[in-house]
Amino acid sequence: MSTDTISPAQPASGQGGSVRDGRALRMTWLVAHREIRLRAKTRVFVITTVIMLIAVALAVALPAILSGKSKPTRVGIVGGDTTTLSSIVTEAGRLSGGQAIAVPESSQAAAETALRSGDLGAVLVDGKEIIVKQVPLGGPSGAVASLAQLAGLSHLIQTVPGAASAVAHGVSLPVRGLETASTSLSSRLTGLFTVIVVWILISVYGSQIALGIGEEKSSRVIEVLLSSVRPTQLLIGKVLGIGLLALGQAVGMVIVFIIAGFASGSNLVHGATLGVVIAGGVFIVLGYAFYCTAFAAAGSLVSRQSDVNSTIMPVQLPLILAYALSYTVIYANGASKFYHVLGFLPPTAPIAMPVLYAAGDVPVWQVAVSALICAAGVVWMARIAVRIYANSILKTGPRISFRQAIRESRKA
Amino acid sequence: MTSPELELDGLRRRYGTVTALDGLTFGVPAGQVFGFLGPNGAGKTTAMRAIFGVAALDAGEIRWRGRPVGEAARRTFGYMPEERGLYPAMELSDQVEYFALLHGMDGPAAAAAASHWIGRLGLSGREATRIDALSHGNQQRAQLAVALVHDPELLVLDEPFSGLDPGGIDEMSTILKERAAAGVTVLFSSHQLDLVEDICEAVAIIHHGRLVVSGPVAELRRGDRPRLAVRVTGDIAAAWSAELGAASGTVDAVRADGTAEISITSVADSQAILDLARAAGPVEHFAYEDRSLSEVFRRATGASVGQAEAEHAAASMASGAMTGARR
Repeated sequence: MSTDTISPAQPASGQGGSVRDGRALRMTWLVAHREIRLRAKTRVFVITTVIMLIAVALAVALPAILSGKSKPTRVGIVGGDTTTLSSIVTEAGRLSGGQAIAVPESSQAAAETALRSGDLGAVLVDGKEIIVKQVPLGGPSGAVASLAQLAGLSHLIQTVPGAASAVAHGVSLPVRGLETASTSLSSRLTGLFTVIVVWILISVYGSQIALGIGEEKSSRVIEVLLSSVRPTQLLIGKVLGIGLLALGQAVGMVIVFIIAGFASGSNLVHGATLGVVIAGGVFIVLGYAFYCTAFAAAGSLVSRQSDVNSTIMPVQLPLILAYALSYTVIYANGASKFYHVLGFLPPTAPIAMPVLYAAGDVPVWQVAVSALICAAGVVWMARIAVRIYANSILKTGPRISFRQAIRESRKA
Repeated sequence: MTSPELELDGLRRRYGTVTALDGLTFGVPAGQVFGFLGPNGAGKTTAMRAIFGVAALDAGEIRWRGRPVGEAARRTFGYMPEERGLYPAMELSDQVEYFALLHGMDGPAAAAAASHWIGRLGLSGREATRIDALSHGNQQRAQLAVALVHDPELLVLDEPFSGLDPGGIDEMSTILKERAAAGVTVLFSSHQLDLVEDICEAVAIIHHGRLVVSGPVAELRRGDRPRLAVRVTGDIAAAWSAELGAASGTVDAVRADGTAEISITSVADSQAILDLARAAGPVEHFAYEDRSLSEVFRRATGASVGQAEAEHAAASMASGAMTGARR
């Protein structure tokens, strides 16, 4: 007597479609709202949120604060009026909120050697060009950026008669790198940060969804629920409610990331790095939607809550693979072909794609294509998940295998 | 009698080799407390789940006020499933309110209704208690509050009396009668036929997924042949009744104290039977008696409720190894 399934919803007589749709939305929202209210109140949620936000703030601000305090930028000066240029360098350091020291160099070759060895942070050549070891992907920042602007103005005023009128438009000296720009460490670190956030949010909230569904099944409240709510509404409402909480945390972390970044003058928030954060945000939502509907289906297969963890393990495997391999991409130069492929498969893309993008291995359009494939995967997964869920949620007794659940959901 | 408000018509459902419902048909009149009775495994739970669309049917139709039951109708039903369950970690008033909202009540109405039923069921002061911190009896009350909170027009309760002490049974039956008096149609199931015969006005008794008998309790208990109970002093074996002609009545059983249970053909025969008994000795007991509902079941099916349940238990042990027990 344990093989009940839910009959297809019979259309309610005498009701217009819009009324039904409105009601379906209301039911889904009621379910979502319960999840949010119940979970946001718990001490665990409040404490973990606060800890996560503080961790992000520290991770962003600490390096910038430490480096800003301890190390003034040393700028080599080759040619030009050393006195004028020295004062420009000092002023640039002051403007950027740190400190810059002018170091007169005898020749460009000597200056470049010092640059490569790390003795100098930048070299100002003849007051009209700036050389650095590597131009960061997001463009120069800090003292070098200020220097490029100030020295640029000074150069303009000296060389072009009547240039003062053009000053309003501003002008910067070209900044040239001695070495080919590989992706900066900051961008890679942001990639790592994104991956960790995706990983934490999906595994923490995914298992909460599976546990929540296991709870509804094992406590048998599900039968009362299903007498007034459709399985689709229950499933989507649960994923949506917990998802909004997760998204709230993620948005909070990104905001703290940006504020702490700007406030401490960290170069993490410049240019490409911000793009990595945005790409990460998109894939957090996609990855969450993909995995959490799958986790919900997995949760509906068990009768006891204690069985939930063993059921969600196989669902998590692709995510674990992409997560483990992401470290090789972040710390090595260039991703393997295999990892590129992972970047386009819906189960692994939510982690692999932000990493590839952060490491500078894929152009923006490929990120967009992957996101679209992933979105299609989300729709596909949601449909399967709802069918498995509707089929399994009322079945008690021993755990149902995935194969059995999929076979029976096809028949239904 | 007017046409029934809830109709179960030709319900069929098979689970593998087990037939749960085999053309079950009966109707429930409006505003009555109606008992849905039968031994464990007769198909009561499947039929009740089918009313809510929680169990699928192979064939048959369930109608409410003449129309097939749909989502809109179900929203006006209240349900207490056999396997009780609420969110263990949710506070009582939140829980009751949540189910009111799910049945379409707006926020303030849901809060007011939750508070009303929590008070009515004697749970005042427990509003902020988590369900899993309530006593077993209070959890049952909470479950009933969830079924009642949206003021349903049809109340469906699966085994509401199971696990209740005598006080709890009284309390539950009072509420069911009170609801019926307020115009609600109340359908409840029980496998303890005799326990509930005073609680309901009418019953449907089922066995093997089919209707055995249905109608007002008083009519069923009297039957088409009324029963006389007669005892003659000193005649422990009721030997006097051997001379009873088949025309006037048949002896169904003789009790340990010598009381003969006689089904009579017509009331006019009773005086002839009294004369026969008096001829044998002083008559110390002579009365019409109603049959118990379990006896009604036995007379109709040829098996006692206990035998039917033992048979079901043996069958589900055999098939349970394959499909998994329900509990």
